[in-house]
Amino acid sequence: MWRLLPRQIESMWTLFTAPVVWAVHFLACYVGAAIFCEKPHLLGGDFNTLRVGIVVLTVMALSMIVISALLAWRQWGFGTGDPPHGDPTRRDRQLFQGYATLLLSGLSFVAVIYTALPVLFITDCIR
Amino acid sequence: MAATAPALASCSGVQSTLDPGGAEATQIATLFWVMTAGGFLIWAFVVALSLYASQWKRKSISERGAGRIIFWGGVVFPVTVLTALLAYALWLMPWLRPFGAEEGTGVRVEVVGSQFWWHVVYRRPDGTSVVSANEIRLPVGERVEFSLESADMIHSFWIPSLGGKMDMIPGRTNRLSLLATRPGTYRGQCAEFCGISHAYMAFPAIAMEPADFEAWLEQRSRPSAGVWAPSAGHDLFMREGCGTCHSVDGTEAGGTQPAGIALGRTPAAGIAGPDLSHVGSRLTIGAGLLANDEEALARFIAHSASIKPGSQMPAYPGLSPDELRAIAAWLKGLQ
Amino acid sequence: MSDVSEAGRDRAAQEAQLRAVWANPSGWRYWTSVNNTQVGLWYGSAAFAFMLFAGLLALLVRAQLAVPENDLISAELYNQAYTLHGTVMMFLFAVPIFEAVAIFLLPPMLGARELPFPRLGAFGFWSFFIGGVFVCGSIFFGAAPNSGWFMYPPLATSEQAGIGADIWLLGLSFIEVASLAAAVELIVGIMKCRAPGMRVNLMPLFAWYLLIVAGMIIFAFPPLIAGDLLFEMQRMFDWPFFDAARGGDPLLWQHLFWIFGHPEVYIIFLPAIALLAMIIPTFAGRPIVGYSWIVLAAVGTGFLSFGLWVHHMFATGLPQISLAFFSAASEAVAIPTAVQIFVFIATMLAGRVIFSIPMLFAMGGIAIFVMGGLTGVMVALVPFDWQAHDTYFIVAHLHYVLIGGMLFPIFAGLYYYYPLIDGKHMSERVGRLAFWLMFTGFNITFLPMHITGLRGMPRRVYTYPADIGWDWLNLLSTVGAVVLGIGMFAVVVDVTLHRRRKPKGEQNPWNAGTLEWVSEPEENWGVRSIPRIESRYPLWDQKDLARQVHAGEWYLPDAKEGRRETLVTSVLDAEPEQVLRVGGTSYVSIFCAATLGTVFIALTFKFWVVSLLAGAAFLAGVIYWLWTGTGEIPEKEEKDIGHGISLPLYASGVKSVGWWAMFITMSGDGTAFASLVFGYFFFWTRHEDFMVGLEGPGMFWPLVALALFAAAWAATVAARETNRRGGLGLSRVLLGAGVALSIAGCAAGLAGPWSYGMDPTQHVYPAVVWVLVIWAAVHGGVGIIMQLYCLARSIAGRLTARHDMELQNVTLYWHFMLVTALITFGVVGLFPEAL
Repeated sequence: MWRLLPRQIESMWTLFTAPVVWAVHFLACYVGAAIFCEKPHLLGGDFNTLRVGIVVLTVMALSMIVISALLAWRQWGFGTGDPPHGDPTRRDRQLFQGYATLLLSGLSFVAVIYTALPVLFITDCIR
Repeated sequence: MAATAPALASCSGVQSTLDPGGAEATQIATLFWVMTAGGFLIWAFVVALSLYASQWKRKSISERGAGRIIFWGGVVFPVTVLTALLAYALWLMPWLRPFGAEEGTGVRVEVVGSQFWWHVVYRRPDGTSVVSANEIRLPVGERVEFSLESADMIHSFWIPSLGGKMDMIPGRTNRLSLLATRPGTYRGQCAEFCGISHAYMAFPAIAMEPADFEAWLEQRSRPSAGVWAPSAGHDLFMREGCGTCHSVDGTEAGGTQPAGIALGRTPAAGIAGPDLSHVGSRLTIGAGLLANDEEALARFIAHSASIKPGSQMPAYPGLSPDELRAIAAWLKGLQ
Repeated sequence: MSDVSEAGRDRAAQEAQLRAVWANPSGWRYWTSVNNTQVGLWYGSAAFAFMLFAGLLALLVRAQLAVPENDLISAELYNQAYTLHGTVMMFLFAVPIFEAVAIFLLPPMLGARELPFPRLGAFGFWSFFIGGVFVCGSIFFGAAPNSGWFMYPPLATSEQAGIGADIWLLGLSFIEVASLAAAVELIVGIMKCRAPGMRVNLMPLFAWYLLIVAGMIIFAFPPLIAGDLLFEMQRMFDWPFFDAARGGDPLLWQHLFWIFGHPEVYIIFLPAIALLAMIIPTFAGRPIVGYSWIVLAAVGTGFLSFGLWVHHMFATGLPQISLAFFSAASEAVAIPTAVQIFVFIATMLAGRVIFSIPMLFAMGGIAIFVMGGLTGVMVALVPFDWQAHDTYFIVAHLHYVLIGGMLFPIFAGLYYYYPLIDGKHMSERVGRLAFWLMFTGFNITFLPMHITGLRGMPRRVYTYPADIGWDWLNLLSTVGAVVLGIGMFAVVVDVTLHRRRKPKGEQNPWNAGTLEWVSEPEENWGVRSIPRIESRYPLWDQKDLARQVHAGEWYLPDAKEGRRETLVTSVLDAEPEQVLRVGGTSYVSIFCAATLGTVFIALTFKFWVVSLLAGAAFLAGVIYWLWTGTGEIPEKEEKDIGHGISLPLYASGVKSVGWWAMFITMSGDGTAFASLVFGYFFFWTRHEDFMVGLEGPGMFWPLVALALFAAAWAATVAARETNRRGGLGLSRVLLGAGVALSIAGCAAGLAGPWSYGMDPTQHVYPAVVWVLVIWAAVHGGVGIIMQLYCLARSIAGRLTARHDMELQNVTLYWHFMLVTALITFGVVGLFPEAL
């Protein structure tokens, strides 16, 4: 199954994948709700449409974070080595990157769920 | 009535969020106590653990054990607690402020913040309205909807004992609904810095039994009897041009505003000074600044700019003490 | 025997050489120095002095509030004092002090001789210093800003704000430029100038934190600069961005201010935590536990902190669903913060702690900060914030966070790193006394404020009535503030007087493991030779390293060509790539800072001509700086750095530090632009009919402008490519064509709103269109100057097929320019048609 995942990329930027997904999801929720509540006729539908939209976005964001986490887990050698990954080798540098990316994916996962939590409780454009 | 003013000034809970007299304030106080108790335990635990960790004479733990401390203390515990807290607060939000597009059924109160006082209009369900200033009255046990606007700067309307605050922003109409649960006299204050006399922009808020409130509104919808009492103060008031800015129901003093300004557009041009139709019965003058008696009224007329810096009202130092007393006496008679 | 003495002579010769190359000028020319050690110390001292000044203002504020109905100072002075207190603490102390610490510490910590752009660093310092003195000085003329450090319109745009508002806007915009300059320098320094072998998994945690913080500055400060621009356009030219009567909205400022303002808190907090992450392992006598967790916490906090800004606006009447998103993010950010605290605790538990003065401040800071964090979790919940917002509860919360999370760690850092400044310790006795005075004073001041706020006392009131339950609480706070002040004074006395009596101590007094402790306080060269790093704590794990470094046994031990040099390495694995020659002592930094400062200060007083002349002088200074100080073609291709490694002296494109600096600068610039575009759509959501029947700029001119800018971009790219293949003549023709196309593009862009007679003072719609178009045109203008610069370099023979750094960087600028033009003209030209 691991062959299906894209090949490893040598880059510093992979570290930021999951938080970027969080940021995009957060921004989409905020902008979507703001436009929906300020310009109710533009997007159409009732508040439940917005809620469903946010849930769909959330599922998408969570799946992307899970993929990022899987890639990170692979980079971390599926957890075969314990931290601290402080040896002066390319391998340990990769393990460190994988581990840190995995941790960030976890945080981003929780943060995305937090962002989506309001749609469970707030059911109108009340102010 | 005037006897309650010193009482207001000496009661220490009048502006306290922890001495609630309204539904929202009660819920938030509970939330506060829950969080404070939990927060204190967490703080004590973290500090105790840090102090223990800084001891020289103890056994060091293993790296793996240290990793577990990070995981449980830094991740699992906070995530659990925060999720519960967040859900509680999110659930509370629409419960506390449940008003949407639909209008409330009871009395609606429109308040316009202005440097440094409050213009208040009570809209009754029958379509009539009562204009007042610098004092809010509301019935206990009924949700009262406030429409909040600003005539100049950003202000914030806040009665801590009843509920949270809501900003008054030029170009916007904000709404707030408050449910008083305990009769009493509270103190509200502007919470957003709005200029030089921001400190002096307060007001008494009085929660009354519904029947008393109705009677009060009814009485306020007619001119005060004091208007027609023969008085040198009345003539001086008119002569000095006070009526240009201040309206007094039943006289030719109309102020520059109509009986209530139209909300929904910027009302800056509309209001110059507080309505004085029943000023004699208010608890305070100068927007919560001074207890309302004749001496204070006279002083405020003579020295408004030094008592309240930045006040739009010109001072009248040229009036003789007798003249000031006469105006003050007439105003005090507007019960 | 003779071998040894020959080696000794070699070594002495090398040291003399290095010393000469890195020497500071003497006399008054000392101030033209650009060495990171000097700039860092000046920066830190200035920031510290500003902090003491703001602290005195706080004491003034507390004295006024000591008793009810006090008339010690006037309302106007009170408002100026509290506004300046907040402004100075945030802009002139909290952020700059970390730029100072980073500029001072990072090169030795990373094993670099210098940061990559020392003159830029000096320029940043002088900008900060001039702007800071200007802003602080205003209070002595009764002209300080008086509308709060958040400057909300319409109060701050009104006449009541006076000239203070302009001083705030222009003075701080200038200082923000300095912060951005420092951020660029730090990011490039951390990514590209680490010692060989210092892979990303071996980087000192301080560097990790600073990398994240500098990145946050790049994205957080520009929205405020964009806001400042709109604000000043309203104050100077009456463009109604925040005037509700003409379609503007005061809330736009609040959004832009807090998009900056909340990340700012973490920009302040993370570097302080970074200091603790250096101090705690040293005194626990072991490497940090959970290095990766710290990286998680730093990166996570950096991102999440951009999703919190509306929690300063919970009472503005936004839809509850919007508030809820920001409440959720505000709760989430507590998780990485908790991780950081537990990493420290776990590290201490896994080691054995020596309890010294730095640890005392560290522990005190954590105890205070955790409390501030917990009240932060409370106020992040919307309902509680409806009550707590704008009360003394918030004042208490923010001081617990900032003093616990920033000031105490800074003092810990001061005591810890002081030996690096002049080889001496600060006084242990004074330190202990100061700590206890500060700790108790702090808590006596701010603990009661929680209750004051819950009892309903709003912020920013210059006095309050007696007998509503605030009297004794306020008195207590004032007493505490005095104690806190005495504690700080003790440290000041220690720094300025006591240390003179101390003997010089050993070089690594705390037996720390990180590389900065090999640097020699009396030398200017940073590290004597640049070692290969094989551990997170090289001084613990690499035996004999300090001696080898001092003996010049590692890389780049000399400066034969008489130039200041440092190593450039790859981002991930820190493999050596280039020997970078950095700028030395020069007047140009001060000159540019002074002229740019004059531009801003003259604008404040509306001295248009002075401002224009100073602007021209600034431009000339920058061009002189670039022409003489950058892109120099070296006398040879490669240099031997020892141990059989020979590295190129010149790099261009992705490999050059200049390219990175351009990329980072333009990311920040793009963020400011994005903020303006946000403004455009914000106004669109605010109005039923966005254009209120007014003329737009039409479709024709915007599309023509877009086509012309696209062509100018293509010409620039083609010029780079032909130049690279040796077609110097054709490349020059293309650059010339690019200039002509850009000029036409700017003109066409402005022609849109101009030809339709759009009046920016009439309504916010024409104003926001004008602002976007002017933004694009000004960037086009800068693009023209860059193209002309490349043309001139090429004609002067300083830009060749092999040495094309300038052209590479200018092309990168034009990539961003193309995106700017695409969005600007797409939005102003096509969006109204789509409505």
